[in-house]
Amino acid sequence: MTSRRRSEGLAALGFLSPWLIGFAIFTAAPMLISLYLSVTSYNELSAPRYVGGANYQHLIHDPKVAKALTNTLVFAVMYVPTAMAVSLGLAVVLSRVGRLAGFFRTVFYLPVMTPTVAAGALFLLLLNGQRGLVNRALLLIGVHGPNWTTDSAWIKPGLALTLLWGLGGTTVIYLAALQQVPPELYEAAALDGAGSWARFRRITLPMISGALFFTMIVLSIHALQMFDQAYTMFFGAQQNSTYANDAALFYVVYLFQQAFGVLRMGYASALAWLLFAIIVAITSIQVRLSNRFVYYEGGR
Amino acid sequence: MVSLSERAVEESTSAEPARRHQPPMAFGWGKILHLLVLCVASVAFLYPFVWLLSASLKPRTEVFDNSLIPHHWRFANYADLWSYAPVLHWVFNSVVVALAAAITVSFSSALVAFGFAYFRFRLRNLLFGLVLATMMLPGAVTMIPIYLIWHRIGLTGTQVPLWAQNLFGSAFYIFLLRQFFLSIPREFFEAARMDGCSHFGLFWRIAMPLARPALIVVFVFEIQASWTDLLKPLIYLQDPSLYTLPRGLKAVIDTFGNGGEQHWEIIMAASVVATVPLIVLFAFAQRHIMDGIATQAKR
Amino acid sequence: MKRGGSNARQPKVIPPAVRLLRGGPLAGCGGVGNKSTSSSGSGNSGSLSTQGFGKPDDVGQARIDAFKAAYPNVSLHINEGDFDPQQFLSSVASGNPPDLVYLDRNLIGSYAAQGALQPLDEELDKVGLDMKSYRQPAADPCTVNGKVYGVPEFYNTRNILINGKALAETGLTSADVATTDWDKLHDTARKLYKASSRGIARIGFDPKLPEFLPLWAKANGAELVNDDGSPNLDDAKLVEALGYAHSLIAEQGGWSKFKAFRDTWDVFGSGNEMVKNQAGAFPWEGWYVNVLVQASPDLDLQCIHFTDRQGNPISFCDGSAWCIPKGAKNTETAARWMKTVTSTDTWLKAAAAREQTATKNNTMFTGLWTANPDADHQIKDKYVKPSNNPGFDQAVNNYYASTEYAFAIKPSKASSEIKTAWTDATNRVLSGTQTPAQALKQAQGEASTAFASAK
Repeated sequence: MTSRRRSEGLAALGFLSPWLIGFAIFTAAPMLISLYLSVTSYNELSAPRYVGGANYQHLIHDPKVAKALTNTLVFAVMYVPTAMAVSLGLAVVLSRVGRLAGFFRTVFYLPVMTPTVAAGALFLLLLNGQRGLVNRALLLIGVHGPNWTTDSAWIKPGLALTLLWGLGGTTVIYLAALQQVPPELYEAAALDGAGSWARFRRITLPMISGALFFTMIVLSIHALQMFDQAYTMFFGAQQNSTYANDAALFYVVYLFQQAFGVLRMGYASALAWLLFAIIVAITSIQVRLSNRFVYYEGGR
Repeated sequence: MVSLSERAVEESTSAEPARRHQPPMAFGWGKILHLLVLCVASVAFLYPFVWLLSASLKPRTEVFDNSLIPHHWRFANYADLWSYAPVLHWVFNSVVVALAAAITVSFSSALVAFGFAYFRFRLRNLLFGLVLATMMLPGAVTMIPIYLIWHRIGLTGTQVPLWAQNLFGSAFYIFLLRQFFLSIPREFFEAARMDGCSHFGLFWRIAMPLARPALIVVFVFEIQASWTDLLKPLIYLQDPSLYTLPRGLKAVIDTFGNGGEQHWEIIMAASVVATVPLIVLFAFAQRHIMDGIATQAKR
Repeated sequence: MKRGGSNARQPKVIPPAVRLLRGGPLAGCGGVGNKSTSSSGSGNSGSLSTQGFGKPDDVGQARIDAFKAAYPNVSLHINEGDFDPQQFLSSVASGNPPDLVYLDRNLIGSYAAQGALQPLDEELDKVGLDMKSYRQPAADPCTVNGKVYGVPEFYNTRNILINGKALAETGLTSADVATTDWDKLHDTARKLYKASSRGIARIGFDPKLPEFLPLWAKANGAELVNDDGSPNLDDAKLVEALGYAHSLIAEQGGWSKFKAFRDTWDVFGSGNEMVKNQAGAFPWEGWYVNVLVQASPDLDLQCIHFTDRQGNPISFCDGSAWCIPKGAKNTETAARWMKTVTSTDTWLKAAAAREQTATKNNTMFTGLWTANPDADHQIKDKYVKPSNNPGFDQAVNNYYASTEYAFAIKPSKASSEIKTAWTDATNRVLSGTQTPAQALKQAQGEASTAFASAK
């Protein structure tokens, strides 16, 4: 190796060193520690005690885990496509109004700047079944809204609504992607007699597929790790847990409770690995899909 | 040099090119309908804010009367909040932690991003793939061990764990900034190298100034992420005077909410305090944020 | 007066200009370091921090003042916020606990077994505090494996509070609301219940699930916890009791409507559910009488005892306790605190403060139940007098009566997990996801596992 190459190599190392160190301390080591903890029983007030696969066994039979997993997955399925569809719809409308898009875009993005805890508190009130704003508004169009905050069947949709308030971020991404689509494509298609739905399906969707795919992954991971709003609205100090509704028990909430609420860190570590496996599985499926469906202009 | 850097800025962050791709603006019922939809949607998105502000100024019994303007104005809600909880501490804490987080992550991520963008070395793609992989790592997996590590060091109960991890860069921002650095023409660097510039000089004197728009985006995003984080303060902070706003707000909700005497108006006041600084930040940094996201979408 | 582990909080009478926190500049006040600087021998200096004693009202403030007067050199930090199990355990685990923690004494068993609390026998001996000076149902949960872990205060018992106006409207009497005859109670609840176009206009009889399950259990002859501390949650009589209490809710709109409606109540204010005729009758702890008299002194209130199915009056009691977390340093001062704030003298001062509030608001003194029987009797003799509202008088007398026969849930080294188990089970039944039998079977499984693995 020439000395120049060596100095280049060293320099590169220098620049990368923060991340390398961080990776070692905050990613690699913790993952190993977490793996170790998952086969122990550890409550932090005394030393870890090796228990082999007991945590994982318990995990399989724990009805709360099944419940938490179901809740989380159901919520993700409920939320992600809806968020994408509504965002896309808004973005399409925004793309058609020319310069005014900027103003509305700002309006839609504003809720994204609200801290999740504040949004949770706010929606806890807005979603109250008897006198919350949401149901009052629904009454205006003749719909009797459900008890969003107390009815098990409606807690997750209520939470989805709370999160949907923040879909401005996704909308902005879609809008930018839409604005990248060359209008000539549309014109050509129109000349060929394609209707607007066909144009949407054959041109728009493929052209923004990169953005769609990216947001799908981000939204999914976000949904599967849902914590802030659910914890704010339904858990916390003892009072909230008196009425804890199983329907709001999300996986990370349960994990958090086990780890820091009752100090069962071994068990919680096992829970964490299960979540990891699930997220990896789901993300790989999504990546596979992307390779099939996403169209990159100019190829990659 | 100036004009080149200007051009670099233009090309990488502007929404200007986007306008070239707008479908022709046709006036007529179509557009009016679109505007109508947007107006309705805007009301739906903005009304919660208005409700929040309005509720925070109402007396307890009127919080749910859903009237836009309070019948009875009660600014004392904020005073009550003030006397109950160290709200000023919380704001201060949030600002300090957010600034620490944003400054460190901007700098460290830029450093690492430059390393990936400029240098060519064997393991480059592999390592970068690793960086991307960590972006997908659920925080829950490492949450407990990282807590135990901080416990060993003796820093649980302080605010350090809330931002110190940013000293080592963050995958998402590394990714973003690397994209940006890659778009800087290599000739700039070659020329400076030939003039004897050190590697760090290349980074600090050429790349960073050009990256200002992207850095602003990173900075603002991280301020928002740090300000709104609930999980880390829940885990690490026990002393209420060290709480950040979300943690403090959660404590207020627990004390005054369903378990308390349902002083929702105080909770709403606290929520306003927690939200307003970010809105103000947004007002100032709006264009940068929008451009930043738009750039992301163009990948 | 603070709530002792049940729902709904004590009224907040925020003492006007009292900053309860570490008033003072930001630097150096918080977090690490401050607490361990106080290792004096006499316990009369240094600092003392508490957790879980948030928002003291007039009674609480009077007791704080009494301590301050007795130990003026101790710098006191009452951290606001109610007891939060996660916050508590985190602070113990991170080696940074407060000097005192204030929690529902039903949780002591579990925390002591986990090693999160320190035994107090030595310290209490040093300050001359004898656990016998507290009522036994209050002291029992504080003792685990023969060692004392907490000093109890407050003794919340339950009776049934009735909205006289609702009775008059429906032509019923308070005898109809008795819980002896379960079928009759169904009828009464149905008659008192009123629906509205948007949901519920008035709840007839609120059985207060899940908090008061122990009451319904005992009424049907079931014990939640056995004498040795093991859980007994799948007892058929408990299943029956849960099923019955749930059926009351089911036919008054169903849980989600019921709860959503209850969430709209202005429980602590002048527009409370009794005044607004939104509730017919419910069991509640004694401190609520004070809330009602402050908020609506002219209320037509009636009160009867909660009875079991044989007609005997029953009530279960709970309350709070002061404990010292593991790793807390200033134990001697903490012990002095515990002795001072629960002594008869201090309670008398607190009662005086409460009496002052009552006089200032033109209402009456509605009782104070302290877990210290000597204090209770002296306070009753001195401050409880008949008023111009016979309903409230009846209520106050009933609560003093129930203090004498109330039972406590038996202590256990898995007390917290057992409570969580039956609470969750009740919630599952309420939300309709499981039947009482299924829910309690799952609860028994969870509780037994916890009991078996507790040391």
